Amino acid sequence: MKISREARRAAREMYRLSLVDGRLDTARVKDISDRLVSEKPRSFLEILKEYTRLVRLELANRHAVIESALALSEDESNRILADLKTRFGNDITAEFRVQPGLLAGIRIKVGSDVWDGSVRNRLNTLSQQL
Amino acid sequence: MSNILQELEAKIEGIQSASTSKTNVGVVREIGDGVAKIEGLSGAMLNEMLEFPGGLYGLALNLEETEVGAIILGDYTKISEGDEVKTTGRLLQVPVGKELLGRVVDSLGQPLDGKGPINAKEFYPVEKIAPGIIKRKSVNQPVQTGIMAIDAMVPVGRGQRELIIGDRATGKTTIALDTILNQAKINQAGEASGDPNFRPMYSIYVAIGQKNANIARVIGTLEEHDALKYTVIVAASASDSATNQYIAPFSGASIGEWFMQNGQDAIIVFDDLSKHANAYRQISLLLKRPSGREAYPGDVFYLHSRLLERSARLAEGYGNGSLTAFPIIETQAGDVSAYIATNVISITDGQIYLEADLFFQGIRPAISVGLSVSRVGSAAQIKAMKQVAGKIKGDLAQYRELAAFAQFGSDLDARTKATLERGQRVVELFKQTQYQPMDVQLQAAILWSMQKGYLDSIPVERIKEFQAKLQEFLSTRKESTLAKILAKKQIDEEVEKELTAALEEFKVIFK
Repeated sequence: MKISREARRAAREMYRLSLVDGRLDTARVKDISDRLVSEKPRSFLEILKEYTRLVRLELANRHAVIESALALSEDESNRILADLKTRFGNDITAEFRVQPGLLAGIRIKVGSDVWDGSVRNRLNTLSQQL
Repeated sequence: MSNILQELEAKIEGIQSASTSKTNVGVVREIGDGVAKIEGLSGAMLNEMLEFPGGLYGLALNLEETEVGAIILGDYTKISEGDEVKTTGRLLQVPVGKELLGRVVDSLGQPLDGKGPINAKEFYPVEKIAPGIIKRKSVNQPVQTGIMAIDAMVPVGRGQRELIIGDRATGKTTIALDTILNQAKINQAGEASGDPNFRPMYSIYVAIGQKNANIARVIGTLEEHDALKYTVIVAASASDSATNQYIAPFSGASIGEWFMQNGQDAIIVFDDLSKHANAYRQISLLLKRPSGREAYPGDVFYLHSRLLERSARLAEGYGNGSLTAFPIIETQAGDVSAYIATNVISITDGQIYLEADLFFQGIRPAISVGLSVSRVGSAAQIKAMKQVAGKIKGDLAQYRELAAFAQFGSDLDARTKATLERGQRVVELFKQTQYQPMDVQLQAAILWSMQKGYLDSIPVERIKEFQAKLQEFLSTRKESTLAKILAKKQIDEEVEKELTAALEEFKVIFK
């Protein structure tokens, strides 16, 4: 679906209003989206889609994906989580995935930043250097 | 104490071996026509290389709030939505250096000629800021194109940017090729002479959006005249992607800059920049940049100005070399006031305008005297050429004006008649067969004989014959006189005496 420039602008404005101290406020997001759906302004669906995209991107920035070759023990995952919280703040959410393709080691992704300590990555770098 | 030190060293080693690399990634949201929209990549930098899966690379050209617009180098059909893209922190680079001479490469410097890999020791970024004011030196050494009409009327200096402009099939590429061939000829003579101060001139030919057959023909011509070994060919043909066509001239400029920054001289031909502007327009429209006149983006002027600004003559402390640019623009029906044509005319230091009418009249090279100028080159002419060619341009312009006027009446005064007669002979002299560049000393001797009136008694139809025989006579029997012109770079009394004697001798032989 093509999103018009006006809808984009409105969505961006709504997104700006849903921030409190630079962080997304759940109550505000819910309030804004409810109002949008009930009042149905012009091209509200486009606005809502764009707004959802912006919220999704912001949420991804506060969400960590931890991939490992083998399932991590409780202790290990807690340590990683604690470390992430000291680095990025307490509101960060995390998700653990098992990815056998990594061979060994872990790969942590927060927003668009990736810390890759997997064997797969090192092998890739090695093959590129050769 | 030593325990602590060992412990610290072990710690450092541990950190180094276990260090994880931090990268920035994004996800392809849209892909098509060689352009990708990528979500994420919050840390991407402008013009940074992006790594796609499968060893493909792209260039980040648009940095937006939540998205990055990138152009793909290579086969974009292998990329699909949802693919992960990584930043690399690197700029696009091309191999540079003498290893490229005699090779045909693509816009990324990869060989296309099947002569094996290029073992270049150095790499230059494709986009580079042009040398600043302090680093530059004024243009005062000539580039001999070997085309008499150009060397006499619109001389080009080392470090100049001289535009070659004209309709399709008016001999634009031929002029560029002739220039390259003449450099090869001068290089061969210079190498044979063993002069330690001789500076060879290398050539770079950048083909942008050309037919593959044309590129093959250019390479064939260069090979035939043994000029390929002094030439680098950067080819982005019409079948290459717009991305490659957009990058090709910048890569060529980087290859040329290496010569410039290492105390050597080079010329670079951009054939042609109209197609380059079209490729850039395509990329810009696909990236959804706002379009301006004729749908070109707003920065199409900057596109060419930053490219051509990179050719310069550098001062001693800063590289002591030069890069002379010959951009080519194709006009439609002789319209020099088109958008891209006026842009490039205003960027360059002069233009050689080729007219279709002249071409079909058999005046080849079809250089229009009135519209061709060189804004800095005359400072670079050798004195001998200045002596003999100083007034030719004015005389020829006057002749053109009178010739049109004289068609209506036969009663002309003696002076008008003389101007017409002289003009006709100069036009004949300036006709030159393609791929036969002429040495500057020979040019000076022939123009001298014209100036002194030795041609006035020869009928116009026989001028070419006279010229050919005179050239042969001078270069076989009066070699020492020609050598003197080249060494002294001027026609002094001694040379003048010798030339007079030679011409008197020749007049008797020529029947």
